[in-house]
Amino acid sequence: MAEMLWVLLGVAVGGAAGFGLGRRRGPTTLAPSRAEDPHLHSISRLAGSLAPVWSAQITSSRTQMETAVGTLTERFAEIVENLDTVLESSTGVLDEGQGGTFDRSRERLGGVVGTLDDALSSKRATVAELRTLLAFNDELRQMSGEVTAIAAQTNLLALNASIEAARIGRAGAAFGVVADEVRQLADRSAGTSERMASKVGHVESTIRTLLSHAEETAEREDEAVAGANAEVQAVLDDLQGVVAGFRDSSATLSRAATGIRGDISASLVNLQFQDRVCQVLEHLQASIDRLPAVVEEAGERARTDAPPIDPDAVLGEMEASYTMAEEVDAHRSGSGAQVRDSEITFF
Amino acid sequence: MGKTILVVDDSASVRQVVSIALKGAGYDVLVGTDGKDALAKLDGRRVHLIISDVNMPNMDGITFVTEAKKLPAYKFTPIIMLTTESQEDKKRQAQAAGAKAWVTKPFQPEQMLAAVSKLIAP
Repeated sequence: MAEMLWVLLGVAVGGAAGFGLGRRRGPTTLAPSRAEDPHLHSISRLAGSLAPVWSAQITSSRTQMETAVGTLTERFAEIVENLDTVLESSTGVLDEGQGGTFDRSRERLGGVVGTLDDALSSKRATVAELRTLLAFNDELRQMSGEVTAIAAQTNLLALNASIEAARIGRAGAAFGVVADEVRQLADRSAGTSERMASKVGHVESTIRTLLSHAEETAEREDEAVAGANAEVQAVLDDLQGVVAGFRDSSATLSRAATGIRGDISASLVNLQFQDRVCQVLEHLQASIDRLPAVVEEAGERARTDAPPIDPDAVLGEMEASYTMAEEVDAHRSGSGAQVRDSEITFF
Repeated sequence: MGKTILVVDDSASVRQVVSIALKGAGYDVLVGTDGKDALAKLDGRRVHLIISDVNMPNMDGITFVTEAKKLPAYKFTPIIMLTTESQEDKKRQAQAAGAKAWVTKPFQPEQMLAAVSKLIAP
């Protein structure tokens, strides 16, 4: 389009004044024209018709590019924001899983097992107390036997005393009464001792039953606590494995998300071309919009035998409208210019 | 809570690129689509730095900086001009209006963040 613009301008100006701008871009050179030249008139009309069409096409292209790049950047920005959210939540879950939930679970389960251990220790103490009680009971049985023996001995002594009292006669009557009383006391002691022996036997039987039951229960509970400990440890090991798996997956996901975020951010940086291209097109459009007036002026000068327009002045006016360094570079070199690196100036 | 930066540019893609770079570095971002829109955003809220384009519809960047500097709350707010333009006279105008730096597009986010860090502590 730019080539056509220059050729058209060259034809128009050259046709009008024998000096074409086309010398820059094309070889077209026409003979000096006359006033009211139909060819000149047609060129002027052509410029007046073409310029709005070119301008409209540029506007359409700019609008499409702005819309498409704008939509693209918005989508990319949303993706980056979503990735940031994923990264934050992933990191949060990982931290909670590592330092929080797992440690708290281990602590609570350890507490449960500790309670069971305490209960078992208490039971073992009870068994030990029962064994002590059994030993005391044996002592009671022995003491009861001793009381029985003393009662038998006392009974024998009382019997001898009764016999001696009877042999003395009337003078030993009172002593005989005392001896009978002692013998009765000895009999009662022997009876009490027998009942004590019987009770001690019952107590021993009961204690042995309790002891047997307690020992059996303690043994089962011991096994149960050991089993619970093993189960808890197995569960914790499994949980730790799951957490480690999550951590690895999360780390992999995090690395991937970070990489994707970086790639998208880098891609977004490249989309800055839209802003620059739009400005180039804007300046080009302004030049195209001005073309009909330039051609018209060239024709008018031809009709009135005024000096031809100065193409350098037209080009200089165009160059003055540029805002970017590469626009000036392209204008002066006649070929595409490289985008310059960013420059930072601090005031 | 991060420091707030107002980004003013009529190009949606540039606004997005600058916003993503700044948010990634922990800054809060406020956007304006041109000078007039950005002036409306300067309603007394705390803004630690402004990054503004130069060539914009409704109100260009140089006029925006001039008007922003008239507001007491933003008199000392540092301003970076982010633009495709490289004309020295425009740079001088921006400096005279009160801008602190001039960055040409296309920029790399690292360059932009370095310029921001130089003017305000992160």
